[in-house]
Parts: sequence; C-alpha cells; structure tokens
Amino acid sequence: MNLWCTLMYLSSIEEKMLNGEYGEAVELAIRIIVKVGESLGADRLVKVNHVHISGVSYSNIGDPGLRLIEKLAEIGGSFRVFTTVNPTCIDLFGKTSIFSKDLITGQMRIINALERMGAKPTYTCIPYSIRKPIPNEHLAWGESNAVAMANSYYGARTNREGGPLTIASALTGRTYYAGLHILENRAVKYGIKIEHNIVDEADASILGLYIGDKIHGIPLVENVEAWNFYMIKEFLASAAATGNHALIVLNNITPRNTYIAEDHIENILIDRREIMDFYNKYSSTPDISGKTLVYIGCPHLSVEELKYMVDMISKYKSVKENVVFLITVPYNFISEVQQYTGILRSKGIYIAYGTCPIVSKFKEKPDKVLTNSGKALFYLSKLHGLEVSLLGFKDIIRRVMTK
Amino acid sequence: MKIFKVKEIVSGECSGEPFIVGHKISFFGEVDPSKGIIRGYGGSFKDKVLIIPGTRGSTVGSYIIYALKEYDTAPKCIVVGEAEPILIVGCILSNIPLLEVIDFNDLIDYIRSSNGYVVYRRDLGGLVVEERYSNSY
Repeated sequence: MNLWCTLMYLSSIEEKMLNGEYGEAVELAIRIIVKVGESLGADRLVKVNHVHISGVSYSNIGDPGLRLIEKLAEIGGSFRVFTTVNPTCIDLFGKTSIFSKDLITGQMRIINALERMGAKPTYTCIPYSIRKPIPNEHLAWGESNAVAMANSYYGARTNREGGPLTIASALTGRTYYAGLHILENRAVKYGIKIEHNIVDEADASILGLYIGDKIHGIPLVENVEAWNFYMIKEFLASAAATGNHALIVLNNITPRNTYIAEDHIENILIDRREIMDFYNKYSSTPDISGKTLVYIGCPHLSVEELKYMVDMISKYKSVKENVVFLITVPYNFISEVQQYTGILRSKGIYIAYGTCPIVSKFKEKPDKVLTNSGKALFYLSKLHGLEVSLLGFKDIIRRVMTK
Repeated sequence: MKIFKVKEIVSGECSGEPFIVGHKISFFGEVDPSKGIIRGYGGSFKDKVLIIPGTRGSTVGSYIIYALKEYDTAPKCIVVGEAEPILIVGCILSNIPLLEVIDFNDLIDYIRSSNGYVVYRRDLGGLVVEERYSNSY
C-alpha cells in the first residue's frame, strides 16, 4: 500500500514529485505541502511565483535547523522558483560590533546551504523591495511583516508560512490552495474607523499593535489614504507582530478585486484614549539615561528611506555619548548603501547588513532601547526582555543627537 | 474494548507506553531535543506514545521535532487532539507517525483511569487502550 496516497487533485508533475521522480528533497517537500494542505482543507496545490524563506537565523533555529537545511542541500535540493531569504543573526558586512560573533560559523553554514540550493543572497525582511508582488498572484512567503505587505498593500495572495514550509515551496514551486489563496477567504469582517490623528510611523505603529492585539478577523481600516509608504509598512509590521494578521485591507490602497467587502460588516470605532492607554502598557518612558540603543530599520529600510533619513541626520553633529545608534538594511542593497556609510560613520551611526536585533544576540545588552518600530518594540521587550520605548524618527534624532 | 477513532496524518506504527501532557506545548522553548524531555515534566518521551492536546508557538518547532530523530530521542509516535502545520511538518521531516484522535479528552481520561498502554489498530480504525498484566513485565 502506498502510504502517501492523497485525495487531493495533483497534476502529473506533482504526482511525479510525490513518487520521488524529482529526487528525495522534492519528494519530502511535496509530502509536507500535501499533508499540511490536507489538514487545512485544500483540494489541490497552486504554483507560486516567489518564495520568501523565513526562519534562517542560527540564533533561532540552532543546530536542528542547520542540520535539516544542510541535509536538503546534500541530497540534491534545488529551488525551482525565485527565492529570497530573511535576515540572519550576523552583520554580513562584518563592520559593526554590536552583535555577538560566536554564531558566525553556524550562520555561514546555513547561508552556504541555502545559496547552494539557489536562494538569492538577500537576507532581508522586505522581499517586496526586490520583486514587487502583482495583484492576485500566488506567493509562499514567511516573515509576518512581508506577508502583511504582500496581501494588504500589493494585493497578492499568500498565507503566513513557517520557515520549513517556505523551503518546501522553494523546492517544489508549489503551495497548498487554501486560506488566503482563495478569494472567498479574503472577506472583510470588521470596518475600523479611527478617531485619532496618525501623523508619523510611531503613531501608525501603536495603532498597528492595538489592532493586532484586539481585532481577530480581517479588518478594513479607513482614513489611511494620506499615510505614506513608511507609515503603512510600520503599521502592518506592528499588527502582524501582536496578532495573526496576514491581510488588513487599507481603504483605497489595497487593490480592488483582491478582497471581498460586503455592506453588512460590523463597524468598530477606535478613539485616541483607547490607543494611548494601550500604548502606555507597552512602552516605557522615552528617556535616554543609561546605555541606550537607538534602533532604526525594523523592518529593514529601503534605499529611499535611508536616503531620506541621512538627509535629516546630516543637520546634526553627532550621536550623544551614551547612545549606540544602529540602522539595519538588506544585504542585497550593499552597493547602493555604500555612498551613505561615510556620513553615517562620521556622526557615530552604525549600519548593519542582512541582520536585525530581533533575530540575533547582542554582545552587550543595552539598558534601554529607543525605536520608531512597533514590531521592534514588541519583540525586543517580549523576546529579549529589554526596556523599549517608541518615538517617531524625527523625535528620536532630536533627542539623541547634538547640533 | 473501547476504540478511539483516529485520523492518520503521518502513517506508521503507534503502540506503547503513553506519555501524557495535559496542555498544548511549544516544541520550540518547551522541549529539549537532546534529552527528549518537556521542561517541567519528569522523564523522557523517547520511544513512548506522546499524547498531547496539540501544539502552539514558533514554527521553529518543526526543526526541533526533526532534531528528536537526529538525537535519537524521538517518541514512537505522537497522538493529538488537533494537528496543526508546525507539528505536521515536523513529523513528516522526522518520519514520526502522527494520529489525530476525535475524542481526545475521553482518551486521556480512559488511559489515566485504566493505567493501560496504547495500541494502534489500523484494522479497527483506531487506538485501543489495553490492560497490563503482571506477567508482561
């Protein structure tokens, strides 16, 4: 008896994958996708145009993850689709000394195995900056902030996948047809009206943390038309951190025909007091006594965002003495970013490539963290037990830099 | 004889000494794969039938389940009330049989009160809890 029989409809190529005709790695990968798909009610698989692999940081996945990824490369695994990769736990340009270096060997082995299988050396959490998703195309992405952007801003279709499932999709070019791949499942449940002025990315972050935590089901958020891209990015990253959200419809921004909104949805009003009460529970008072880390670049900054910030930073002299100022960017932007490293270094600002504090280990823990990212606030306080506070970028440089 | 109906998610043999955990676990963080233990619980689940309501937490959990095979600390099989993707992926990677039981709470009550051991009978479509006899030791 073939124990791997399935009731799912499979194409003849997919059948061959399941029968091992494309090698051991593909066979294992398609078993994973079929079995998970069955458990989630999928009746077929779907081809994907771009896979984004999450869960590659050696400080998170350790030797168990390293061994599996190496094994897949050893048994001949080869990616069949455009594949980008999430940040690692080390600064891949090796210039900063903020992160622990004892994880380099393990991390480099993971990187080498992934690149041997055909992954693009991106090491970033903003894969949409490398290849912009197209409305209604199918993707298999890990990394909660990227998934939220793909569905909500670009109108593409992806579930929020775990690391191993993304690798399985890269090996097969397929994912299971369920969840957010199906239009009927992209139906708005709540209409959200905000009675609070959202002016910068810190405000957008707080609102995101709140909605992620309190709203279960797909929301449609109104009055976001005036937000800039950076605010949307921080809003979605924050909501995806405190909740399971993979799609948050942004009124007049999310492409039409990529979601369903009926007239009879339940409306929820969120006022300023509610948001501020919630914020005060999460954020500590933003003072910079003691050893303070300023962290900008969660999610990673694009080249345009970095340029905008460098312009503002250049009006100041340097970073105050007790402050370590860190910016993180994608590894693949290394050549475009080089032109800014001189000026940043002259002000005492560090820039790290292909990593971030959430998925790495600090060499020395700071007393306090100041960031403009709700996602960084959430994870650095929850996972790393740090005292973190949130402010907009402009307010941060005003506090931590001298004129 | 009472039969507890199961859904076979990852096929294989599933008979032996039960190791029951009463709450959902996160393999990442709560399980030490090098020892085959759940932190805060006595003894190892190695070669036993691990019975848990379900799993939760980080998707790194799949890698931890894979590591159980590598460290030779894997349970003989896993029986759950509800199988979610992290667990399914881990069990396929490490070839650990995985069964979903419909009446999960009844099963653990029955095992606890009878102090029996678990036998998977594919021919009967379910799990059977068998009595222990002194001469079996």
